[in-house]
Formats: sequence, structure tokens, C-alpha cells
Amino acid sequence: MVSRSPSRIRRRAIAALRMLAALVLAGGIYALVSPGAQANAPGSLSAAAEEGKALYNNYCITCHGNNAQGVEGRGPSLIGVGSAAVEFQVETGRMPATAQGAQIDRKPPQLNSDQARQLGQYIQELGGGPQVPFSGERSPTQGNIAHGGELFRINCSSCHAFSAGGGALSSGKFAPPLNESTDRQLYAAMLTGPQNMPVFGDNQLSPQDKFDVIAYVQNLNTDNDPGGWGLGRFGPTTEGVAIFLFGMVVLGFAALWIAGKS
Amino acid sequence: MSISNERFEFVRQGAKERDDVEIVHYELQYPLGSRQEKRVVRFVSGLFLLSGLASVVFVACYIWWPFTNFPAVTGWEYEPGNSWMKGYTPILGLTLGIALAAFGFAVLVWGKKLLPHEIVLQDRHDGASDPAERKLTGSTLQFMGEEMGLSRRPLLKVALLAPAGGLGLAAAALPIGMLMKDPHHPDVFLHTGWDPQANGGKFVHLVREDGETKIRPEDISIGGQITAFPGIPGGTTNKHADSPVLLIRLRQNDAEALRANIEKGYPINRGGMAGDLVAYSKICTHAGCPASLYEQQSNRLLCPCHQSQFLITDNARPIFGPATRRLPMLPIVVDEEGFLVATSDFNGIPVGPAFWEKPEA
Repeated sequence: MVSRSPSRIRRRAIAALRMLAALVLAGGIYALVSPGAQANAPGSLSAAAEEGKALYNNYCITCHGNNAQGVEGRGPSLIGVGSAAVEFQVETGRMPATAQGAQIDRKPPQLNSDQARQLGQYIQELGGGPQVPFSGERSPTQGNIAHGGELFRINCSSCHAFSAGGGALSSGKFAPPLNESTDRQLYAAMLTGPQNMPVFGDNQLSPQDKFDVIAYVQNLNTDNDPGGWGLGRFGPTTEGVAIFLFGMVVLGFAALWIAGKS
Repeated sequence: MSISNERFEFVRQGAKERDDVEIVHYELQYPLGSRQEKRVVRFVSGLFLLSGLASVVFVACYIWWPFTNFPAVTGWEYEPGNSWMKGYTPILGLTLGIALAAFGFAVLVWGKKLLPHEIVLQDRHDGASDPAERKLTGSTLQFMGEEMGLSRRPLLKVALLAPAGGLGLAAAALPIGMLMKDPHHPDVFLHTGWDPQANGGKFVHLVREDGETKIRPEDISIGGQITAFPGIPGGTTNKHADSPVLLIRLRQNDAEALRANIEKGYPINRGGMAGDLVAYSKICTHAGCPASLYEQQSNRLLCPCHQSQFLITDNARPIFGPATRRLPMLPIVVDEEGFLVATSDFNGIPVGPAFWEKPEA
């Protein structure tokens, strides 16, 4: 018995050491692979999100409520909308909104781009959601304009018109023209589907597809209008009406002039 | 005086005696050879010269103005951005416009300033023509008829009926033929590319615009839409232009509302949805335009041509505009490989605008 007791102690010690090693290993692996465990913990926001929270409490809380949970009849919950939606709405000046209406319109933004991203970070850390996968204002890669054109014509042109000039929807709503949009705003709009726009998730249009569409739209935007005046780029109907009205007025005055002289 | 008085008197006399036209007032606007006249002549000549010059510039621009950077690049490619090429069409229009306008204006000024002022009178004739003349004309026509001798040559008369009738029929064929449906394909309006029978009894896959990529349910986000074509040979071509559908993933509560409306009011669409996915024909039932303006918040489909609106959550019922029929729903399921397939050809409801034999549905 006496001779066995040291070995028993040793065995126990070895088992305890093994246990400790296994725990350390498992914990280490978990710490390595688990995605930002501490960021999701309530009450511990990143520095940018803290800035965003301060902005939120100044600009957004009236309609979207405490902790972005929404206010009935005033503003929807923002849990899960993601930073992409927040950045789009704030950077294009649609949010903070001035009034409820058929459609919230684009206007000069109240918050700058950095503040919009801080707000986005706050909403992102509150409830997750889609994020724009690049940091700059420009697409990280130049897209294929020809392929983007095909995608644009089948997915976008029914509402935004083949020239990206926009068009009417029901009951005062409309698809806006895309001529002021930055790459980042276009990407965020496709990803999140603001207001009545359908959502084009990554399974439908891959990030590269989205860059192709952006390249096509920006190419349309940089292209000037042959002949001078684009007439809103609404197409041959507008052009026909314009030339008809203008031509008729000129011809009418010409006829009056000729008749008055003889 | 360059205008000969002798010739003027001759013309005046002839007009008066032969045509009962009397020149009562005739006055030159400017004395011939005066300074005013020379000024107008110079002006008109200048306009003519301008017109000719602009025409030459037009031809020169037409030939030499660069409208493509050929042969700098292979082929006739359009180059985006600002360049000389953008001026090609405007410069053609401008030069030809100046040429035509200057010519027209010159002719106008010539007529108004250089031709003399004159007032002429002509008496109006009263009553009908002379009875003797009328009788002569009538007899001439009758004589021509007798010369042809149709009454004496009955074979000719009968033979003439053939081209008369035949050509009349040919003229009527087009307007009457357009009223008939295609006689060679009696069911062409009733079947689309989704028909499983035409696909060897197999359900037709929903594919993307490339005609190959099959669509999985998870390809469409909530509030998203995708245009789907039948996955058959030529399914994305104009041969099956009646087949495209708009595949939409509804929000859960909107899908519940649609399921309730199917049970309540339109059981033919029962079982047509795959989860929260629904597929409606993209062809408007009013005039056949693509009704693919999808509003994901208000759940409406709009047609851009005549502003028809369809309510997605109530079997695509028309709620505004000229359309009177629902958009047919394509019944879809997920097959064992996880792809979306159509189980039937719009449940037998023809897509698109009405036609005479369209079944009521």
C-alpha cells in the first residue's frame, strides 16, 4: 500500500495535467475561431459603435426608438437591417427623414460619411445584417461593363429605365435616377433593397456581378448626351414630344410672320 | 428697263381676252437699278452663297469628320466620353439645316421683295357648262364603251370576273386573316415553354437568363425577385417569349396572406407556391408588356406600358389600370436535387392578353 501511494498521486497529477492541457487547448481554439465573442456581449460596443450610439440618440431615436427597436406608426425596427442599409439611407440624405410620405426622397445628407459609418457600425453590432464588403467609396475591382449591362437590363431597367434615368411607380412612388449614386451606395442598395426596391442578395447577384452592374451604371453616368440635352434620358417619347412642341411653335410663328408680311 | 414693255402688253392682252383675267395694278417695288434693289439682290445672293457653302461643309463633314476612332481600334466601336466623334450627328444636322434654311429664306425674300406688286381680277363663271358640250362629253364616253364591245363579246365579260373576284379576295385576305388565330397551331396560345408534356413528361426547371443556371430557392432573398425562364432548348429566345415568369420570395406574413387568399377565392392556384416563393407570368394580361416592376413593400407588380397594377398577395389580381385578368401563377415545387421546377403549364390558363377563344378563368 505504501509503495503504491506515490504512483497513485502521480497518476492523479498526470490526469489533472492532461485535463488542464485539454481545457487550455479547447479554450484556445474556441477563442481563435469564435467570431468576435466579446463584441456581441451586451453593453460592450466598439469605439466606432459608441460614437454611432451617440449619433443615434441625437438623430434617430425619436422614430426608431430605444435600442433601435422601432416605434409603432413612426419608424420600423432596425434590428437586423445591417450597416449597409444604414449607410445607404444616411449617406443619400434620406435619413434622418423630414416627413412621412409615399417615398422618402434623396436630399443633401445631414451627417457626413464617417458619421454614417459609425451609425452603421452601431446598428450592425446591435443586430447584425448585410454589410458592404469593401471600405472605400469606389468598387475595389473594375467590373465588366458588358456583363453588367446584361444584368442591368434584366434586373434593373424595368424600374430605373434603360438609361438609369428612373421612372414612376404606383401611388406617388418612383424609382430614382442613378446619376448621383456612388459605387458604395449602388452596392448597398442592391444588397439591402431600400424602400420598395427588391433585394438582390449575394446568391442572386454575386459581389462580382454587383461590381459589373456598378461599372455599367457609372459608365452610363459618365457618358454625356450626344446632341446636347438628355431630356432626363427618358427616351424617344420625350424627345419626340419635345421636338414636336418646339417645332410646332416655331412653324406657327413662321406661318404668322409670313401671313403678316403679305 | 430689262422687262420688255412689248412682252408685258402681249401677256396682259392675252390674259384679258383668253382667260378673262385683268391686271388692274402693276407696280415695281423698287426702281430698277436703284440702290435699294441692289441691296436686296446682294442679300439674297448672300443667302444663296451661304446655302451652297453649308451644303459643301455638310458633304465634307459627312466624308471626313471622325465618327469612330477607326482604324485606331479594330471595328466600328463607339467610344464613351467627350471627343470629336460626339459632334458628328449635330454637325451634319447643323450644316444641312443652315443650307436648307438659307435657301428657303432666300427664295422667300426674292418673292417678297424683288417681284412686282400686282393685283389681278378674274370673273367667276356662272352655272353649269354649255349643254352642247355636256352632250358631246357624254356621247364620247358612251362611244368608248361601245368600242370595247363587252356586250357583243360575252366571253370577255365572264373572263373579266376572274381577276376582279380573285384580286378582291386577295385584298380581303389580310384583314380577315388577322382576325383568325394561327390555323396551323391551334393551341399556340394555350401552351408555353413550361408544358411538361412537350418536355418528355418531365417537369421543366426554372433557369436564369443564361438558359443554363438552374435556380435554387435560396438564390432569392426575402423581398427579392428574379426573372426565370424555362430550362428547355431555346427557352430564353423569342420562340418562348411568352414564358418568362417573375419569381418572388415574399415575407412570411405576406406569404400567409397569399395562401389564405388562394384558399378563399382562387383555388386553382392551390399548391402553386414553393414555401414563400411564388412565380407569376411576366406578361401583362392587358397588352402583353412585361409587368415586372416589383414593389417589395406594397407587394404590387406594375406594368410600365399602361400602368396596370397587380396585387401579389391576392393571386395577382388587377387593382388599377386597364388590365382585367389576373397574371397566371406558375405552380412550382423543389425537386429532389434542390432545384425549382414547374409542375404544370400555368394550370392551363393562357398567359398574356385576351383573344377570342381564351377560356374564362
